[in-house]
Amino acid sequence: MNRFSITKGLRIFGWMTVLLLGASLTAQAAIDGITGTKNPDGTVVFNLVARKGNISTSDGDSFQMWGYAVGNRVQYPGPTLIVSQGDRIMVRLKNALPATAGNTSITFPGHQVSARGGVAGTLTREAPPDGATQVIYEFTATEPGTYLYRSGTRPDLQVEMGLVGALIVRPGGGPDPAHHAYNHADSYFDQEYLYFITEMDPWIHRQVEFTPASAVDTTKYFPTNWFINGRNWPDVMSPAFAKWLPTQPYNCVLRMHPGQKILVRLVGGGRDIHPMHLHGNNFWVIAEDGRMFSSNPGVSGADLAWSDVTYKIAAGRTADAIWSWNAEKLGWDIYGHAPGDPMEPGEYAPDHGKPFPVVLPTRDSMTYGPFYSGSPFLGAGGDLPPGDPGLNANAGYFYMWHSHTEKELTSNDIWPGGLVSFMIIEHPNVPIP
Amino acid sequence: MRKLELVMIPLLAVFFLGLGSVPSQAALFVQCPGDWDGDMVPNEFLPDGVTPNPDYNPNVVCMHISGGDGYLRMADGTDLYAFGFGEVPPPKQVPLRRVMNRQSLKARAPAPHIELQEGQELYLTLTNVGMTMRPDLFDTHSVHWHGYPNAAPMFDGLPEPSPTPNMGASFTYYYYAGVPGTYFYHCHVEAAEHMQMGMIGTLHVHPSQNGTPITYGGKTFTKFAYNDGDGSTGYHKDFHLQITAFDSNFHIQHEAVQPLPFADMHDNYPMFNGRGYPDTINLSNNKVTPDKKILNKKGFWAQRANSLVTATSGQTILLRIGNVSTTHLYTITTTLGVPMKVVGQGAAQRKSPAGVDVTYEANVLNFGGGQAYDVLIDTTGVPPGTYFIYASDLTNLSNGDEERGGLMTEVVIN
Repeated sequence: MNRFSITKGLRIFGWMTVLLLGASLTAQAAIDGITGTKNPDGTVVFNLVARKGNISTSDGDSFQMWGYAVGNRVQYPGPTLIVSQGDRIMVRLKNALPATAGNTSITFPGHQVSARGGVAGTLTREAPPDGATQVIYEFTATEPGTYLYRSGTRPDLQVEMGLVGALIVRPGGGPDPAHHAYNHADSYFDQEYLYFITEMDPWIHRQVEFTPASAVDTTKYFPTNWFINGRNWPDVMSPAFAKWLPTQPYNCVLRMHPGQKILVRLVGGGRDIHPMHLHGNNFWVIAEDGRMFSSNPGVSGADLAWSDVTYKIAAGRTADAIWSWNAEKLGWDIYGHAPGDPMEPGEYAPDHGKPFPVVLPTRDSMTYGPFYSGSPFLGAGGDLPPGDPGLNANAGYFYMWHSHTEKELTSNDIWPGGLVSFMIIEHPNVPIP
Repeated sequence: MRKLELVMIPLLAVFFLGLGSVPSQAALFVQCPGDWDGDMVPNEFLPDGVTPNPDYNPNVVCMHISGGDGYLRMADGTDLYAFGFGEVPPPKQVPLRRVMNRQSLKARAPAPHIELQEGQELYLTLTNVGMTMRPDLFDTHSVHWHGYPNAAPMFDGLPEPSPTPNMGASFTYYYYAGVPGTYFYHCHVEAAEHMQMGMIGTLHVHPSQNGTPITYGGKTFTKFAYNDGDGSTGYHKDFHLQITAFDSNFHIQHEAVQPLPFADMHDNYPMFNGRGYPDTINLSNNKVTPDKKILNKKGFWAQRANSLVTATSGQTILLRIGNVSTTHLYTITTTLGVPMKVVGQGAAQRKSPAGVDVTYEANVLNFGGGQAYDVLIDTTGVPPGTYFIYASDLTNLSNGDEERGGLMTEVVIN
């Protein structure tokens, strides 16, 4: 029974305002990155320049970084290189870092790389800081999966300074490479997201501003800043390519509908181990370091996958996890249906029409979070107290995906910050771009 | 009664915005459906003792905990200021109007243990009794059932997408225990602070397979970690070994109302079940032993869980081990000479979606914060004696500056 009252009209007007304001909270549909240009011979070419720049942290600070740039502007982390299995890859690197930074280079762990040009280095060939000399790295992306690339020149300093990025190799043998991580149905996903994790010791960056790289001491490394895709919480929730974060283009806002499958590509881009905890449900770890957990690789899929709620991402490691959520076995109907109401797409049928089980305290007995819609039901809104930011315009379900080393939920001594982002489950009728 | 009204809003796309209203109640109150006499146990019959209680559901389990502050005594004698959950007696025993006073400074470590059978429904009421030693704070508290599958934000305990109870108010969490396994629970409000301060407890759900004898590996079990179908997670005795840790400096600065040292946070008191060795084997909660209770500086028995593992040679032990440190990964090993078989992880049996057994045997386990393992130890052939479970990253065998103790407990095989 719906009787339209003035009160309710005002409520709806308030919600429409919130919805309009909330429109800036959008997410990427696929992982942002660059796909390079194709040479006539089919080789996929990336032109990167190592440059100096600055990033902002969520505690209001700013730090000098070195990073791999596509154009004139540095970015942190480096551009996500997205290629296809079987592609011949050529990465051309120039070094426009300050002369005191010294040479730089790129390594591609997990790939057999040939390098030419530049000067000889310890791990690979290096580009001297003249802005002109070109080093060429070539390899074939033989196996699909999630990888990283990073400096092979004084990596203790240069990776810390930002010379690190993700490499995604899409499968070449399956029917739908945009929705499979590997050449097997076990790796199917509806949406994919990158969790590229790095940390920072601010003192090293301060030293770099005043000291030649050769004199910078990294042995007292003590990180106090943590990043997902180059941003701290809450900057991760800002749009990708936000103008106010010019050197940190990638965000981390995860969205899905109930029942969808999410691929999380986790990358340990720094030097510490981070136990990443996904609220809301268990996930299946289907692969590490670009190899599926398979008893018969190429045939049996991810038949050795395992389940957990926290994945310990080691430094330099990558992992692919599949996550889903469908309100199974909650014991109440997340849509607040009456027993005779029609089902929502993908709804968990045994709980259909089951009433909300508890009485909630009065509003003045509770503190509302900014992502609380005012109602326990998915896609439903409710009255919000005056001053509530109302950041959950679509009344989605928010799940924190974060480091369970809770200290890392800070940005240089300021709570909250660091390694936090949110998965948002939207009502089936809310479009996800 | 709950009403559900649906309104159409044409904006960008058309979707439903349900304005569901639910009844609400102010201040302190507990919810326990079917309980009419205030003992937090549902009544099968109405007061006449004959008429069946229409609200009675034998699966309902009720519990009332408080969130607040208190003190804990470390194994080297240091008293640390802490936050924690306390256990609130039923209203029949202690009227609700007395709860705020009574629960002041009654924080416990670990928090009151929660143990459920698969299929039970937990009505867990949290009352925020405030921080007696920090009257300047107005923090809320929450319960996050870590690892609860298919959680909904309302009962996930995250302060961002849900309401959390203010001081002097109660909030009842509802959990259908649908998936067996080893979990834990903790407060998620300002998590780096509240978890460092100690708001963490043990929780596990027994599988419905329990009670049915199944023979596996020549042994017959009636208790299992999971619904394995073949007895492969069977055990005779289970023990929680929950690793938490404190950074004493953080606690001292906290009590002194100083800016909280988040960046410097570095745990120096690693503990099993809220105690460092040798307090881990203090059996003061067992009336037949002469051990002196570990009392805090207020004379309150706040740390009630020992970590002594006992078994008869030949029995299979299930260890429910998790790490909830806010700064450290920890590494554990034993002197038993037999391996630990990891049969579960993150409240899930080590079995792939294809049904393949992905268990493994190990002598050393490494945990990040938020990780929990279910580990079987088959003591067949282990001679009677006293053995140790301890941190193989040896720096953690310490209680603050006291270099003997910390993350260690004993296994007594009879």
